[in-house]
Amino acid sequence: MLGKGGKRKFDEHEDGLEGKVVSPTDGPSKVSYTLQRQTIFNISLMKLYNHRPLTEPSLQKTVLINNMLRRIQEELKQEGSLRPMFVAASQPADPLSDNFREAQPAFSHLASPPLLPADFVSTMPLESCLTPASLLEDDTFCTSPAVQHDGPTKPPPPALQPVKDSFSSALDEIEELCPAPTSAEAVAAESAAGDSKAQPSESSIHKPEGLPESRTAESKLMDPLPGNFEITASTGFLTDLTLDDILFADIDTSMYDFDPCTSATGAASKMAPVSADELLKTLAPYSSQPVTPNQPFKMDLTELDHIMEVLVGS
Amino acid sequence: FLGAGGGNDIQWCFSQVKGAVDDDVAEADIISTVEFNHSGELLATGDKGGRVVIFQQEQENKTQSHSRGEYNVYSTFQSHEPEFDYLKSLEIEEKINKIRWLPQKNAAQFLLSTNDKTIKLWKISERDKRPEGYNLKEEDGRYRDPTTVTTLRVPVFRPMDLMVEASPRRIFANAHTYHINSISINSDYETYLSADDLRINLWHLEITDRSFNIVDIKPANMEELTEVITAAEFHPNSCSTFVYSSSKGTIRLCDMRASALCDRHSKLFEEPEDPSNRSFFSEIISSISDVKFSHSGRYMMTRDYLSVKIWDLNMENRPVETYQVHEYLRSKLCSLYENDCIFDKFECCWNGSDRQVESFSLIVMTGSYNNFFRMFDRNTKRDITLEASRENNKPRTVLKPRKVCASGKRKKDEISVDSLDFNKKILHTAWHPKENIIAVATTNNLYIFQDKMN
Repeated sequence: MLGKGGKRKFDEHEDGLEGKVVSPTDGPSKVSYTLQRQTIFNISLMKLYNHRPLTEPSLQKTVLINNMLRRIQEELKQEGSLRPMFVAASQPADPLSDNFREAQPAFSHLASPPLLPADFVSTMPLESCLTPASLLEDDTFCTSPAVQHDGPTKPPPPALQPVKDSFSSALDEIEELCPAPTSAEAVAAESAAGDSKAQPSESSIHKPEGLPESRTAESKLMDPLPGNFEITASTGFLTDLTLDDILFADIDTSMYDFDPCTSATGAASKMAPVSADELLKTLAPYSSQPVTPNQPFKMDLTELDHIMEVLVGS
Repeated sequence: FLGAGGGNDIQWCFSQVKGAVDDDVAEADIISTVEFNHSGELLATGDKGGRVVIFQQEQENKTQSHSRGEYNVYSTFQSHEPEFDYLKSLEIEEKINKIRWLPQKNAAQFLLSTNDKTIKLWKISERDKRPEGYNLKEEDGRYRDPTTVTTLRVPVFRPMDLMVEASPRRIFANAHTYHINSISINSDYETYLSADDLRINLWHLEITDRSFNIVDIKPANMEELTEVITAAEFHPNSCSTFVYSSSKGTIRLCDMRASALCDRHSKLFEEPEDPSNRSFFSEIISSISDVKFSHSGRYMMTRDYLSVKIWDLNMENRPVETYQVHEYLRSKLCSLYENDCIFDKFECCWNGSDRQVESFSLIVMTGSYNNFFRMFDRNTKRDITLEASRENNKPRTVLKPRKVCASGKRKKDEISVDSLDFNKKILHTAWHPKENIIAVATTNNLYIFQDKMN
């Protein structure tokens, strides 16, 4: 959309995404607001976690992206605190780490793909975002699918960090499905492909007995927006640099490179900018995948918990 | 068109362009800073490869009274080299973030140049004579056989081709944990400040092994960090006053006489958010990328992503003037966030004036995308958009104003927002301190424009 003469295709999405932010309480506009918020959340996570510069990342940029994520989290938390299905009835306002402990029962902490495929198309109120406690204890990042309370599963996320095998296999699936994908389509395809091979799970999510365990596990979580401001040897995101090198050694993150204008590619980057509305456009074809409209739209805190677990727990 | 002081409109004409012609931009050639010296005779650029190139204006030729002197390369030197921080396993970029000239005190010129971590004071001096007529040496340096010397002579200085030498006189290192974004020379011409994301340090130009921390906004717990310093500048007249801007759109004015550590501001300039324009990106676009005092120091100008604001130092709660640079981008913020353009740091500058008087701070200039740059006349409230492009190559041809069509039907000669090239950004512009000559940096080219002299 921002290239020379780029054609816009999905004007309705365009409006929802780029148009003025509407109040989250509006009825039909709530979807577009939620959509926009989710997109921005995803993009923000991508920027923080997929950027592997040789030089130190800009602190200003990191701070601004972090603030963005925090704001969205706050909003989600406030929205989530209205949901009756939260086990923790009383939600203390701060700090952020507390919120994530309480949010555990409501949100699957298995990270979802940064770009949710069909989930974009069908958003759900957050009260349906519950997960079996058994999954909360899984240390896997993306092998087990996130479970919905009803209906088919959520597509498994591509690994942002460990568990490279599922990621690689997901990549293979993408190549099968989409011979020449754009980065957005690739991720969407992978997610959709993953969806079709995901195991269906029970509808019952609520397992309070599992919660205390997960809580203690999570209690050692710091603010899920990691202390990436500290300039450490590992660029701040992972505590173990050597492990980091091993994990990232053979991962091709080019699919996740949504920044056509980064300095890494130079000012003369010829990549077609993948705009947010183009991402939405590519996701639309996958709405025919076996995903019900009940797919909850819940990957936000989920992802962060997931990431934090990887950072801290493992 | 714009007026300048006397009410005569400035008509900008292309004068020169420096840099490679081809579209394939070498990363090292990306211009990262542009600065005129105090007389305007010298124009310095810094690039991503750590080099400084200084251009010198030709002395005005009486026969060519219709144009001011051209700028030609005067000196080129490697200011900073890439370094490696072994502790963090990260490279330290050699990119020159800022250049600031010292006022000239003798025959030599001095400038400060800085990358992310280290500031250097460079002396640029000319050599146009050399001694000739040694008794024991030939002209090429070979030693003569003393037995062949039959007469003695006194060596004399003879003219030689001008040689410009740059030598580093001071290196101010190891004082910044975070990335330096600003340097500013005090009006006492003895001290200067350097600002990084979280701290501001005060240096004496003669002393390299010590600097004083005057602002520190690093929180005890880094996870609580939500705001960083984005720019800082000394007041042009008051040597104890400086300002610094933040990523949240605030400017703090500090007085060094108040305390050693100026963590408590004397004034806080902040405009309340316009609720009708609120979006997810409100904070990011409010982040100030540049702050510049006016000539007298009564006003200051700030640049955020979409606008330029003029502040009266006596009024903290809102700017006195706001100019929209490219408001048509407001509906594209999500895409601009995605491709990182929203983090672009545009600079701004005041027009030059041969008098350091407030009434002559009249025009502000700043860059935009598609190699456009904008000027705002504070008196007439008119603005103009011009383009730095090799297509407008004819000297003394007045530049045609450009217009971006935000929506709806595009008129002839207008450019639609979707056609803008966001890779072609003008981040750095400079205005000659005394004359209507401007230097505009595109990615790797430097354009010089002058007003049309009749």
